[in-house]
Formats: sequence, C-alpha cells, structure tokens
Amino acid sequence: MYRSPPGARGFLIAIGLLGGALTVAALAGLLLFWALQAAFPRPVEEGYPGYLILIFGTLVLIPILVVLGRRVPYLTDWYYLLPAITFLLAFTVFPIILTIYYAFTDYTGIRNGKPDRSTETAIVRVEGRELFVEGNAHDLLRCDQPDCAGQALEITTRTQRARVRVEQASGNTITLTAPPPFAPTLVYKINEFRFIGFRNFVEIFSRAGTVLIPVLLWNIIFAAGAVVVGAIPGLILGLMLNNKNLALRGFYRTALIISWAIPVVISVQIFTAMLNVQFGPINRLLGLLGAYPIPWLTDPEWFKVSALLISLWLGFPYWMTATLGALSTIPEDVYEAAKIDGANGFQTLTGITLPLLRQPFIPLLLGSFAFNFNNFGLIYLMGPQPGVEGRPSTAQAGDILITWAYKTAFQADGGQAYGLGGAISILIFFLTVAISLINFRFTGALREVR
Amino acid sequence: MAAILRHLGWALFGLLVAWVLFVYFPGLLARIQPNTPPGFVRIENGWVYALGGLLVVVGLIVLYAWLATLLANRRTQRKRSFWPLVGQGLTHLFMFLVLVFAYYPVLQILAASFDPRNTLYRILPPASDNLLVRARVIPDFSQLSWENYAKLFDGFILYPYQAVLLVAAALCLLLVLVLAGYRRLIGDVDSDSGLGMLQGRSLTAFALLSFTLVIFLSPAQFTGQGTEAKFVLWVRNTLFVSGITGILAVLLTATAGYAFARFNFPGRYPMLLVFIFIQMFPGFLGLVATYILISNLGLLNTFTGLVLAYSGGIISFGTWVYKGFLESISKSLEEAALIDGASKWQVFTKILMPLSAPMFVFIFLLQFVGTYSEFIVANLFLTGVDSWTVGMGLRNFTTGQFSTRWGLFAAASVLGSLPILLTFYGFQRYFVSGYTAGSVKE
Repeated sequence: MYRSPPGARGFLIAIGLLGGALTVAALAGLLLFWALQAAFPRPVEEGYPGYLILIFGTLVLIPILVVLGRRVPYLTDWYYLLPAITFLLAFTVFPIILTIYYAFTDYTGIRNGKPDRSTETAIVRVEGRELFVEGNAHDLLRCDQPDCAGQALEITTRTQRARVRVEQASGNTITLTAPPPFAPTLVYKINEFRFIGFRNFVEIFSRAGTVLIPVLLWNIIFAAGAVVVGAIPGLILGLMLNNKNLALRGFYRTALIISWAIPVVISVQIFTAMLNVQFGPINRLLGLLGAYPIPWLTDPEWFKVSALLISLWLGFPYWMTATLGALSTIPEDVYEAAKIDGANGFQTLTGITLPLLRQPFIPLLLGSFAFNFNNFGLIYLMGPQPGVEGRPSTAQAGDILITWAYKTAFQADGGQAYGLGGAISILIFFLTVAISLINFRFTGALREVR
Repeated sequence: MAAILRHLGWALFGLLVAWVLFVYFPGLLARIQPNTPPGFVRIENGWVYALGGLLVVVGLIVLYAWLATLLANRRTQRKRSFWPLVGQGLTHLFMFLVLVFAYYPVLQILAASFDPRNTLYRILPPASDNLLVRARVIPDFSQLSWENYAKLFDGFILYPYQAVLLVAAALCLLLVLVLAGYRRLIGDVDSDSGLGMLQGRSLTAFALLSFTLVIFLSPAQFTGQGTEAKFVLWVRNTLFVSGITGILAVLLTATAGYAFARFNFPGRYPMLLVFIFIQMFPGFLGLVATYILISNLGLLNTFTGLVLAYSGGIISFGTWVYKGFLESISKSLEEAALIDGASKWQVFTKILMPLSAPMFVFIFLLQFVGTYSEFIVANLFLTGVDSWTVGMGLRNFTTGQFSTRWGLFAAASVLGSLPILLTFYGFQRYFVSGYTAGSVKE
C-alpha cells in the first residue's frame, strides 16, 4: 500500500500536481485547437466549435493522469474526486469568479465586451498601422471619443479575426497602436466594459434606505414566515396523523403530499390565476362569505400575504412528512410510562412529544429558512408586482434579494446591469454563508466531519 | 439571567403578535376597496351561514358519536366515553377541510383543462342553479371537452416502431403497478423475492424503453400549427435533459462521496469545506458567466450545453448526502476485501455500489425533478420553439402573447406534471428517507 506525505505538505503536493495536470491539459487543448484553426482555416461565421478544446484537453489529460498515478501512487486517491472537482471548477467556480469580477465593472446589456455588428465597416486599404475606410471613420464606428483614441476594434477577414486598439482616427483613416497581424477586410467597434472599482457597491449602499434595507427586511420576514406557516400546520397534521387509531391514516398521508409533488413552476402559476382580484376563485369564495374582493396581487402588502399563503400550500406536506418521520423514531414505551404515571394527552404532548421533536427539527427549520431566503421560483413566478413609490422597477413590493439581483441583471427594465446584479449576488452570498454558519453551529455538521 | 432572557423573548414575541393583530391586520383590511366588480357574487354576512353550517356538522358528529357509543355500550354492557369517537369525527372533518384546501388548485386546473371556453377571465357568470357554480367557486362542468388536449397533440405523427415502444413501455409500467399492488396485498416487503425482482426488472425495462422513445422522437414529427402543438416535443426535451442531468449527477457524486467517506488523505477536510461553501453562492446568478462559457464552447442552443450548465448544481449536495450514507454502512466487509487483496476501485464497484442503489436513485430523482421544472437557465440557453422545455412552454402560455390561453396552460400543466407526480408517488419512500437520512444527521 502507498502512503501520502502527511499534513499540509501532502495536500499541497496533491493539489499542485492535479492543478498542474489540469492546466497543462487545458493549455494543450487550446494550442491544439489553434493549431487546427491555423492548419485548416474555416470561415469566421462557421468556425470550429469550441468544445473541441474540451475534447483535446481530455485526450491529453488521461495519459498525464496515468503516468502521474504510476509515479505518485497516493495521488490516485484524488482521482476519485477529480470528476466532481473538474465540473465544479468549470461550471461553478469559474462563473463565480467571473461574476465577482463583473461586480467591479460596468458590464451591461450594451457594454458586454462584444463587437457591435451594426458598426460593420468595410476596409478599403491597409498601409502599415493605418486602415482606410469609405467615409468618416468616427461616424461609421460611432466611437466614444471624438478621435476614437483607445477604442477597441475587431478586424476580420473571411477566415481570421483579431482585436486591435485605435491610437487615433481622423477622416477616413484609422491609425492602430500596432500593425494588424493580417490584412483585414471588415472592422467593428467593440462595446467594452470598464473596471469601475466599488462604484456598484456604493450605488447599492447609497440607496440602502429605499431599496436594500426594505428588500432585506422583507426577505428575512418572508423566509421566517414561510418556515412558520409551513411548519406549524405541518406539525399539527403530523401529530394528528400519528394517531394509530385513526382510520384512513395512510390515505390522508399520501393524498396530502400532492402540493409537494406538483412542480413549482406549475403550482405557483395556478395560484396567481386563482388569486386574481376580479376573477380568481379564492376571492369568489371569500365573496360568498361576505368579503369584498381582496387585491391579492395588486396591493403591495397583500402581495406579501399571498406569497406566504402560497408558501403555506407548498410547504406543509414537507413538514407533515418530517414530523411523521421524527415521531416514528420515538419509542412507544416512553408513552406507556407516561400513561402509567397518569399523564393526560395534553401533558404527554407538551412534556414528551414536543421536546423530543425539538432536536430533529432545529436543522430542518434552519435548512428551510436558508432555502426560502433564496426562494427565487416562488416570488418570480408570482408575476408582475405591485409598485412601491421611490423604488426601481427591479425591486418592488414582493421582491427578495435574489429576484432583485436577477431582474437587475437580466431584465430590460433593469438595464441588464450585470455588474450591479453581480454586486447584489455577492451580498446574497455573504448573507447565505452567515445563515449557514449559524446552521452548522447549531447542528454541529462540521465538527462531525472532522 | 437565562430566565430573564426567556421572559424578554416571550414579551417581544407577544408584542410582535399584538402588532400584527392590532396594527398590521387592520391596515391590511383597510386596503380592500369596498366595491364589487360585475359578476361578483357577494353575500352580506355570508360567514355567519358558513359558520352555522360547520357547527351543524359538528353537532351531527357529536350526536352520531353519542348514539353509536350508547348502542355499543348497551350491547357490550360496558361504560365507554363517547369523546374519543367525537375526536375521531372532528379529525376527519378537519382532514376533509385540509384536503379541500390542498386539492382546490388541482380541481380548478383540471376543470379549466377540460373547458374549451377559456373561462377564467370571462365576466358573464355561468348559468346554473347552484349558487357556488354561479359564483364560480366550483368550476362549471357543463361543457366538458378534450379540445385543449387535442390542440396539444395536433399534427403529432407517431411512427409505428415508436408506437410499439410506447405500448411496451406502458405494459411494463402496468406490470410494475400491478406487482406493487399485489405485493402490498400479500405483505411482501422483501425486494429480493421473486416478485420483487420481477418488479425491479420491469421498472428498469420501462425506464429503458421510455428513454429510447425519448431519444428517437424528432421535431419532424410535429407538424401542427401553433406553438402548443409542440407540447409533446417539449416534454420529450425536458425528459431527455433531466434524465441525462440526473445520470451525470450520480456519476459525478458517487466517486467523490466514496473518497470523502472512506479515504483519509490530507486535505480531506478543507476539500469538504470547499464543496460546502461553493454551494452557497446563488448558483444561477453566475448565469451570464456560464452563458459566456457555453457560448465560447459553441454549445449554445444545444442540450449538451444545458446539461453542462446544470451539472454543477447538485455536485456538492449529492456528494455530501452520499458520503453520509456510506458512513452509515459498516466498514468490516470492505476491510476484509482489502486484506484479501482487492483494490479500492474493486471495493467500490463490487461491494459498495450495489449497496448504494437507493442513494443513487435518490440523487438521480432529486436532480431529475429539480431540472424538470427549471425554466430560467433553459430560457437563456435554448432558443427556438423546437428546443423548449416544459417549464418554458408553460411560462409562455401565461405571459407574453399567449396571456389569455388559460385552457391550454391548464391542459399542458396537467399532462406536464404527470411524469413528476408519478415519479414522486412511485419513489416517495426514497425521497423521504433520502431527505432525512442523508442531509440531516439526527
């Protein structure tokens, strides 16, 4: 058998070797891809697909891993983690790092670092560093600066493309900072995004009083409220269904899980239709009981009540099942002893059942709080929200942090301000970590791992 | 000190409740406009009648319990109290009300799916003698038709070999259901018994047959006009993506969970922490970054790209759950095998993998169900009606240009939630045990 070098040294060696292998494979994949492009050029519009890099990289990685495994046997333990780590790196860590980077830029739907196809301009002639176009270069390319100084451009031929920078442009002449690597035929302006430091965060915190604090407050109330309105009815139902003498017990238990089983994307949309102020069946029912139509989804405060009402419907089966599961672990003889001692039903409930349920319930409650804290699907699917004066259209009455971030980043009325959305995401991340740390402290999950 | 804190806590709680009851709640009620829109049936003090009706039912239950106990006592010459029977009756009444609450949306959506008139946003009340129907509390079942469903299948051509596959899959599913029912009747709980094995085999056959069918369905088979005629294609796309994502989730988490549970390499603890904390970043806010990555890989608008984008989602949680599961299994068998000269890989594939089937099923199902109802990522990555998923299609019935197609939405919802409903009820045991055994250590 093999033995790893102990402690931090072994860890660092393993990480270094694996990281090195992955880097080498990625670079080799990229180089092979470029070699393929250079050897057999294809038109720019239908170039080689980028996933070839992944395939080449994998082909290089496997022999490297085999050789490494022979030379450093203890590394093979890490190979079991490698698939998970690679996917995490590529599709979770990399996007996270990129998002953090964007949070410090003014990346938006317009400033997305891509060439602007509407500025396509034909190049008539190339002389050293100078490109000649027909007409005024500044007007054709719609530069930000009057003389286009520092503007980034993309130049292409039929099979090649490159990015270059303008030193200055006047009339029909564009002078680049360096001669182009090939003789281009077309030129585009690139909508660059810039590094703006903490300005996104300053923007969030400067309007904290009208946006951040109310949204955060409602976010916490919603998460806590959703747990409470789900857990208490679920607990009561679980306690009732735990009665072994109750007929149809299994039927109730199975039938009531329905709202857990229906996909949220469907059930929430049904609810928004049912809560319609004028036509919704819920208002019709309340009307028969003497109520005037309730503005469930059109009034800012009632919207919040609706969100909690839907949480109740969605959440109680989970808590009912959890209660029944926890109750099944309580041994029968405890109750028998209580009966002999002359305890009545209520005393048994408050003296035995509820205290015994506390231990398994704490982690579930905290987990449910963390889930509801970022319950995007529910709030987003409830549709357009009633407006609140003085708040942007991305953070209205019922919006929680995560829907605010999403709408800021992706919806047109938020200007697709991805930088700003990224900044909000980082705030959400820190809040989620804080909640989870409290969770771990209570449940002792981390201690157990050690 | 602790006592003071506790009292303070209760006092704060009391204040909060008082504020909600006496300040917030009246404020909420004041926001209701006292006017009735056309067609809205309002009964002044209707709640008094409702409460009266409920009290009558309670009274009947008490009366029944009293009479039943009286007769039973007379026959058996015993003196039993009738309160337990009242309790049972009231419990059933309560459960009935809860069932109504839980199934009311289901009833509404079922009714709307069979109603060709798209009645949700109609002002005219249905002509009926029943007050509840006229007020539209109970849906109007006077005009039932399959029209909405027919529109979803409009122009759908099923090739003969696919029909054969479909029938075979349906037969397998039927066999599974019949076997499950029969085994429950005879009380056979052992999954290694002959019938249990047969049930497992036919379930596998069903999964394989339906997956083959899903793979071989092609957009060319959908010739109907309008977006809704592509519904079956959306279901097929969704099942395909969810299935592949689920399998990928199992593959990625299985070996990692094994390593974390059984190996003691340096760096195990920090790696576990990394796995946990990565999970806390709001995943789909990295969407633009993921989008750029997938677009650079040339996988935009392909299912491969979507599966890759989904793949990061469950790795941490799945690894954590599977690790917890393996730690609950005794090591003795593996140690014996290791002494006999088996490699770690052999131990994993020969001993642990067969034991872990329930956990794999749980991880697969969790990812499958999660992906099935996802629509945000899909919306960003897939363009063109042919590659939509169910979630995207449903969202399109209720927003944008289809805002009034409530009947179609209802029919599509009913059909679209069937696979998940079946999965959930069929594998309920796995969901419950997986949630309680893996994620939460008690």
